[in-house]
Amino acid sequence: MEFKDYYKILGVQKTATAEDVKKAYRKLARKYHPDVSKESDATARMVELNEANAVLSDPERRAAYDNLGNQTHAHGGQDFRPPPNWDAGFEFSDVAGDGADHSDFFEQLFGRAARGHRAQTRGGDFDAHPTLRGSDHHAKIELDLLDAYHGTERTIALRSARLDEEGRVVNEEHSLEVKIPKGIREGQHIRLSGRGSPGSGGAPPGDLLLEVCFKPDTRWRAEGRDVYQRVALSPWEAVMGGTSTVTIPGGEAEVSFPAGWKPGRKLRLKGRGIPGKEPGDLYLELDIVLPPADSDAERAAYAAMAKAFPAFNPRPRAGA
Amino acid sequence: MQHHVYVSGQANEILGEAAFTMEEIARACGMASTWVHERVEAGVLQVDLASGEWRFDSTTLVRARRIAQLETMFDADPQLAALTADLMDDVARLRRRLAMLGGSEAD
Repeated sequence: MEFKDYYKILGVQKTATAEDVKKAYRKLARKYHPDVSKESDATARMVELNEANAVLSDPERRAAYDNLGNQTHAHGGQDFRPPPNWDAGFEFSDVAGDGADHSDFFEQLFGRAARGHRAQTRGGDFDAHPTLRGSDHHAKIELDLLDAYHGTERTIALRSARLDEEGRVVNEEHSLEVKIPKGIREGQHIRLSGRGSPGSGGAPPGDLLLEVCFKPDTRWRAEGRDVYQRVALSPWEAVMGGTSTVTIPGGEAEVSFPAGWKPGRKLRLKGRGIPGKEPGDLYLELDIVLPPADSDAERAAYAAMAKAFPAFNPRPRAGA
Repeated sequence: MQHHVYVSGQANEILGEAAFTMEEIARACGMASTWVHERVEAGVLQVDLASGEWRFDSTTLVRARRIAQLETMFDADPQLAALTADLMDDVARLRRRLAMLGGSEAD
């Protein structure tokens, strides 16, 4: 396990005030928030930032962490193991119940596993929470949109940490088989009862809640139960209309394109979105694709078109 | 050291509309029930009243957790956090559209 330099992660000095820590955290949280950041490692960086903030913004945890950092064995990059009673004289509450991801380093020092260890070694406060239900875990599961049309079964790997009999953090990797029913939507959750953190004092464990999201796909996208798909038309289909067999999610459909295409025009195939009691609709977004003009004959066809439309101006003046 | 545990035949429950109670939403957000109550009253979170008690859609959980995180992270006003959550949804939707357009252009 590597020693984590939380000051370096937040980019602050060891003498930083609480206000300095808060400012640095917020600035970096904006940069690495996984919902908006374009940085490839945004999620991992955000976990580090949250941990660093959880420690450095709390006076008790920060004091214990500084005490540990001042001891000679704690150097970045080296295999690190906290000495027994590294936190003697400090008190802080368990923060692992917030359902957030934590590194092994954080879990060993401040997490739920560490709390159990402290209770064992000091006759600590486990009895103060005799029936504490285990916290729920939250994770995302990425599916293909087609899984929502057909249903599927997935094996997912999840990591969790526990303390072994010597008080060390042990990572366990669980493989879970999850049945995905037909009709699932993005943002829905799958609850795996009892697969969260263990409870204490005989209380039940928490649950694992898997949030469903769909993999980005250049062919189609879902919005709720409705699905959107781009369909390319040739210029003559766009102008004169036509009929064609189109591959859609879950099969094929015979589609009639009306004459007179306009930008942004959509065709709705009722009930061909994500299936369910009230199935969604499929919207075909119609686009024109120009045929290439590689040969003389093809270029001549474009030239003939230009002659046929002498008054056509694709760039009319604004206000004209 | 890693241990591998294979769990098969796991019972799983698909959560849809009206899936969560107020207490479950609060727990998932690491907040008190009053926090959820206040956000419903303020129109920040949507509640399903069909069963006569407050229930929340599965998709509301994601939004509630995001708002709770924004409020905590930036000491944000609930309405400002809700506005940011709305914009994040819009950004995600537009990025998906853009990915489709980009994919077609690359073909």
